[in-house]
Amino acid sequence: MPNIKIPSPLRYYTGGQAEAEVQGETVAAALDDFIARFPDLRQHLFNGKGELRPFVNLFLNSEDVRHLQGLDTPLQPGDRLMIVPSVAGGLDRVDHSALRTNQAFIILLGLLAFILNSPWLAAFVALAMAVGTVLGAPAFGFVYRRALRPLGLVKPDVLADNPEPHRFAQGFGSVVLFAGAGAIGWALVWLVIALAALNLFAGFCAGCAVYYWLGRLRVPGFSRTPPEGRLPGMRPRPRPSDGR
Amino acid sequence: MTIAISAEVLRQIHAHGEQAYPEEGAGLLLGRRAGGRKQVVQILGLANTREDGSRRNRYLLSPQDYLWGEEQAEQSGLEVLGVFHSHPDHPNLPSEYDLEWAWPSFFYVITSLRAGQAIDSRAWLLADDRSGFEEEPIEVYQAQT
Repeated sequence: MPNIKIPSPLRYYTGGQAEAEVQGETVAAALDDFIARFPDLRQHLFNGKGELRPFVNLFLNSEDVRHLQGLDTPLQPGDRLMIVPSVAGGLDRVDHSALRTNQAFIILLGLLAFILNSPWLAAFVALAMAVGTVLGAPAFGFVYRRALRPLGLVKPDVLADNPEPHRFAQGFGSVVLFAGAGAIGWALVWLVIALAALNLFAGFCAGCAVYYWLGRLRVPGFSRTPPEGRLPGMRPRPRPSDGR
Repeated sequence: MTIAISAEVLRQIHAHGEQAYPEEGAGLLLGRRAGGRKQVVQILGLANTREDGSRRNRYLLSPQDYLWGEEQAEQSGLEVLGVFHSHPDHPNLPSEYDLEWAWPSFFYVITSLRAGQAIDSRAWLLADDRSGFEEEPIEVYQAQT
């Protein structure tokens, strides 16, 4: 029977056992048998789609099965299958070029809505921002991803930063803009334009600041804290090789 | 479960982060279980094998380095209790990316640095359902063991 070597972090689920004998003629079958015995391990080894998580490596007699036949690699009795962790982590990253493209579009379309006296256009921008907030992406970021970046017109500006406050800021802007496009009037549309401009030209994200202040007040769901040494809402300091 | 780290080992963790600055530094925590707590007695600083440019906000320890670490631990009668890494110019809270890549039952000790100086470290443990991290208090002790 093949043998599975279990790394330290998973031994908590195997009662401290470092090795287990399993049945199966392929790597996939052996893993199935292994998980049938220790069902709590499934969520850590596989993602929701049933794919092996990227940080799980399987070595068959010290060869990575990715270089063999993957999960279909056949096993012989006496083979030794090792589960080896890739240990990884680090800060979250935000591409500020996508954010700036978004801010520029919000400003331009907001101004256009005012000039054309078209609350519908303002409402459309608000809707795009709401959709972006739900999807966790800047509403007009696709212009950057599909056109500006591939054409080399705007370079990526990837900084170590928290995505959540920017998402909150966009959702907040969307609500204010909806209110402006509806009954309350152009003053609120101008407020959104002004705050987007403050972010675009001065690097201060007012919505992010609100997020961090709510976090300071320990409001549930606002768990991120600003980069060290930065005022809440200020863009993180650029470092030349960040994420590039 | 509490994690106990000697003042000397904690100093080494901070020094490792400072040496790696402005990149992220990382390594393994080796130790033993003792009476309901886990005691870190040694660290293994390992190479950040992320590609150039990414090391400022990401770390990756290769499977080979991990295996080597586990062998080192077993030879000394210890086990790998977790991982330490630094967050240059960012708080010592785990990120979404940390969560995505987290192993269960491992202590994740994160050190925040500002302008190259280590400020503080906090320890985190992945929740059983992978929904988030829970903070575990670090007990710093002076004694030699």
